[in-house]
Formats: sequence, structure tokens, C-alpha cells
Amino acid sequence: MKDLLWLMRKMSVSMLRKKAGLLFLVLPIAGVLLSMLIYGSSNGMDLRVGIVNRDGDEAVTRDAVAFVEGLDRVKVVMTDEETLKKDISEGKLDSGIVFGQGFAASVREGKPERLDILSVKGAQVTAYVRAMLNSFVGNAASIGSATDGDAAAFDRIYAAYREGGFRMKTETLEDTSNRKDVTTQSMGYLIAFMMFSAVNMSELILKEKENRTFLRLLSSPVRARTYVLANVTLNFIILTVQIVVTLIFMKTILGIDSGIPYGSMIASLLLFALASIGLSLLIVAFAKSSPMANALQNLIITPTCLLAGCYFPAAFMPDSVRKVANFIPQHWLLDTIDKLQNGSSFGSLYLNLGILLAFTAAFTLIAVYRFGRNNDTRMFV
Amino acid sequence: MNVLEIRNLTKKFGDFAAVDNMTLSVREGEIFGFLGANGAGKSTTINMIASLLRSTKGEIDLLGRSISANARFAKSNIGIVPQDIAIYEDMTAYENVRFFAGLYGLRGETLKERTAEALEFVGLGDKHKSYPKNFSGGMKRRLNIACAIAHRPKLIIMDEPTVGIDPQSRNYILNSVKKLNEMGSTIIYTSHYMEEVEEICTRIAIVDHGKIIADGTKEQLKSIITDTKEIWIGVRSAEPVQVEALKAIPGVLSVRVEEQTVMVSSKAEVGNLNRIIQQLIKDQAEIRSVEEQAPNLEAVFLTLTGRNLRD
Repeated sequence: MKDLLWLMRKMSVSMLRKKAGLLFLVLPIAGVLLSMLIYGSSNGMDLRVGIVNRDGDEAVTRDAVAFVEGLDRVKVVMTDEETLKKDISEGKLDSGIVFGQGFAASVREGKPERLDILSVKGAQVTAYVRAMLNSFVGNAASIGSATDGDAAAFDRIYAAYREGGFRMKTETLEDTSNRKDVTTQSMGYLIAFMMFSAVNMSELILKEKENRTFLRLLSSPVRARTYVLANVTLNFIILTVQIVVTLIFMKTILGIDSGIPYGSMIASLLLFALASIGLSLLIVAFAKSSPMANALQNLIITPTCLLAGCYFPAAFMPDSVRKVANFIPQHWLLDTIDKLQNGSSFGSLYLNLGILLAFTAAFTLIAVYRFGRNNDTRMFV
Repeated sequence: MNVLEIRNLTKKFGDFAAVDNMTLSVREGEIFGFLGANGAGKSTTINMIASLLRSTKGEIDLLGRSISANARFAKSNIGIVPQDIAIYEDMTAYENVRFFAGLYGLRGETLKERTAEALEFVGLGDKHKSYPKNFSGGMKRRLNIACAIAHRPKLIIMDEPTVGIDPQSRNYILNSVKKLNEMGSTIIYTSHYMEEVEEICTRIAIVDHGKIIADGTKEQLKSIITDTKEIWIGVRSAEPVQVEALKAIPGVLSVRVEEQTVMVSSKAEVGNLNRIIQQLIKDQAEIRSVEEQAPNLEAVFLTLTGRNLRD
């Protein structure tokens, strides 16, 4: 135990003295920020709508404008038509509504027209405003249609409608799809960086071999397995810190709530951390030098992360590629997180968790076998 | 008392026997020279003594205890100065020695004292806060030694500790070896520099093809070759010298040629000097001096192994 702590202390010092080592500690947070930048931009933003009223001081038109102003997450700017088009094209506004002259009259007649909704961002932006406005205009037009051109009757019924007799109640439901995407991608970046970080730590073994200090270490009473255990333990501690810090950062600074209990999330990530360490040992066992380990790391981690959907949603990929992802541990972690977000309990995901454990065992056993077969005194563990 | 005893030690890599049924012993208080050309089996033997490699066959005892059954005990009593400098560039001289001494279980005040003592011993006491990246080759070699001696081992194995350093550092290290020996450590010393071995070793073993082919004091070893003589002929240029023609002369055992010297090893009882000189004249090598050398370790090594130590 004393030997283990002595070695871990030395490894910590070596890692903290390297700029790259420090960088690997904070990279997961950078990954989450990157993910936020890519996937979080549409979350929680108000819709900026410009309104042009060419219909004068008509009550129906005035009410329609007030209705849009009252919509949740919509910010209205009254403007003229020329400025509206310019602002939309420059991205200052997301959408525009033009109430043409005669709009109120057409509503009174029960045949609403002279209402234009503009956007350069497509239906996804206009759909919400159009749907909400249609409900208001449709109700008013129904009154117009029912009164059949009787202005007095329309005004009476419409006034009653305004007073609340026919008030439409809107309820806002939380849109969790975006939160889910941000969480999944943030986790994707976190696990990618965790894997790089794990290899970086295990590479210390190779560096020791290259510096010949490894031979000196092994000529002391310290056993090779104690040395590797110290490396693995420290690696695990670092990954744990990365996980906890990143989750706290996501929750408190960035306000991302994954919707998963922290215990389940941390347990899943720690299980994956073990698989990452297993893989890092495997890379170190097969690499004969640090450059070779770096090359192997890039050859293995980056493509598998891409396939598993760490950098962008796996749904973008064809079915055949998604099937390949079943053989990648990252996929099983992301799948676990996805299922936890969809309400599965941690215990019910024993298959996912078992597969992650199996990956860990397989990587570690192959690494141990490889280490054991090495007869070169400068390379063996 | 034997500090180290090796019996019938064999190490095979596939069919190749790097160490072949080797038997030797190192007595307490000796500076034991271990001589052999590259690939002779020195490093493999040292790695087995240090428990870094498992033997295929045979026994190694340290202080009377088998190292295979008492690896921790053996490792605690051995200090290895590897041929390659094995220190951390990102740690100060003090931190380096302290870390390696800590691997031997030293802690607290004892660790501090031994660390400072080891650094003082190799003359780096005033550089304890410096990083090795700022050290000269000689200083790094000295730090390499300090890391191996702080835990006060009974047996110190020094593998080529003076390779590639300036004469001043070399002298410092040689004096340190003698001083360590005086302080009670037994030392196994390997070197390519025959004069170093002659200067400091009390007993020498010559290893070739994984076997000990001679073992004794330098005087005992030199006596092996009283039947040979070493003739050094200075020439203007050795380029035209026909080595094969010289080797064909009766009595000649071996011929080595350097830039301006032809070194002929010959049977002592054969009077062939005239024929050697005639051959050189025939080769149009301009002779400048002829000298018969007293037997030295170089000649012993050459006679016994048929090759130079630095081959």
C-alpha cells in the first residue's frame, strides 16, 4: 500500500507538471461547452417577430397584434414593411407578420385574408406563430361567419369573446428534446475526452520505458503489478474528478439538467471510465513508443467516437453504420444515458451495464496477456 | 563470504542461449569487473541478478538467499546503476534521489538524510534543486549513481557508468566507486574501458558467448597469456597493409589495424618479427616504430575471445 501511494504521488506530480497533463483535466469541460455551442443554440431563445400593421386602428387587428405579443417566448417589434424585410434578411428578426389593409374587414366577413407571415428560416420558425395566430383569427372569423355581415352583432359577440367568454387558454409544455440532445452530445464529448485522458495517463508507462526509469523502478522492491495498479488507480481518480466536475459545471454554470439522477449518471460514467482505462492499457501494451501510442489512440478513439455518436447524433448515420456501433463501448454508454432519460431505471439496464463491464474485462485481459508475453526487459511490465 | 553466487545460470531466448551455464561468485568487499563484448551476455546476467529477467535454468543467491524465493530481499540489497541514464528530467536532483530511495521503503527523516548524503557523495549537493535537463552528461551520470546508492545497498551493480563523459567526471566516478567499496559495498563493474577495469577492479571475469571464459585477479589473467607477445608497429599509414598476409605468417594469432598502428598478437616462442616487418615493407607501409608490449588486459581479452572488447 505504501508503495502504491508513493508511486501515485510521483505520477500525480509528473502529470501536473506537464502542461498537456493539466489540459487533459479540463478538456471535458471544454467539450461540454463545445456541445452547448453546437446543440444548445436553439434552446430557451425567444422568437423575434416583427409586425407591420397596414390595417389602421381596427379593433380586430389591434387585438391580433396584442395576441401575438402575449404569446409565450415571442418578442414583438412593430415596424414598417421595408425594415421588416431588411431585418429578417439580416437575421435581426426570426419572422414577420404583415396585417394588410382590409384584414379586419375580411375577418368580419368570416373570410380572413390579407395576412402574411414571413421568414427566411422556414416553416419550423413560422409554424408556431402561424398556428397560434390561426386559432385567434379562426375564432374571430367564425364570429364573422356566424353574424353574416351584421356589424352590430359581430361587435357584440366579439366584445363578449374579448371579455373572456371564449378565451383560449394556452399551456406551455416543456420541450425536453433539446435538453436531451444537449445532454447526449455533452456526454459524447465528455466520454471522448475521458478516453483521450485515460490513454494520456497510461502513456506514462511508455514514457517510463523510454526514459529507462521503468527498468530502475522494477529493479527496486516495487512490483510491476503495483506500478500498473498505481497508474490505473490514479487514472480512475482523475476520470472520476473529470466526471464530477463536468456534471457540476453542466448543472450549475451551464444550467443543463440531464433529467437523470446523479447517482445513476455517475455510476454509468464510472463504469465507462473503467472500460476507457482497459482500452488505454491495451493501447499501451501494443505500442512500442509514445508516438505509436498516440497514433493508435487517434486511430481507435476518434473513429469509434464518431461511429458511436459522440460528436453528432447517431441517427444521422445509416443503419449499417449504426449496427457497427454495437461493438463499441461508447455506444453502450450513450444508449444507457438515452434510456435513463427516457425513464428506464438504472437496475433495468443490466444488459448495457454488463456489456460495459465485459468490454472492460476483455480490454484488460488482452493487455495483461500482452504485457506478460513481452520478453524485452526494456518493454515488459 | 560470498555476496553473490551464481550456479549453472542459463537464459535462453528461443534456441539462443544468451547466458550458458554460467557459474561465478563475488566475494564481500570486491570490486568485481565483468568484461565482455557487446552481446556476450553481461546485461542478461545483470538483469537476472536484479530479478528483471527470469532464468531458464540455474540459481542465483544473494547474501546466501535465493533471489527467486526472496526477490524483495534481494532487490532491497542491490543498487543498479544502469548503462542508460534513468532519471526524471521533470524532477529536481533531490526529488529524483528521494523518489527512488522511497521505493526501498525509506521515509521521513531517514529518507531526507540518505537523499542528501547520496547527492553529497556524488558531488551534486549544491545542485539539489536543479533539474537534470540543465546538467552536463557527467552530472547526469553522477545523479544516476546517487539514485542507486541512497538506500545503502550491499551490492552495487554498475553497468558502463562512465560512457560518454568528460575525463573529470570519469575520474570523479572512479574515485566514488573506490570510496563506496571502502565504505563496505561490494561492486560489480562493467566497462568497455579496459584501463578503468585495470585501475579499480580487484577481480575480473571475462564473459564470451554467455560463458565465463576466465576469472581471476588482473595478474592471474595476464599470466594466462605469457605464451603470447604483442607487437605494435607504428606506420605512416595502415591503408596498404595486407592483414591476411600478416595473419598467414607462422605464429601470428591475430592482427588489428588502426590508423597508424598495426597490432600483432603472436606466439611468444616463434621468432617471426623479421617476417612481419618484411611483409610490411613489401606492402609499402612506411615503418616508424616497433614496440613489444607488456601483456595487458586488452591482450588477454583478445587472446581469449579472438575479438576486441569494443567489437
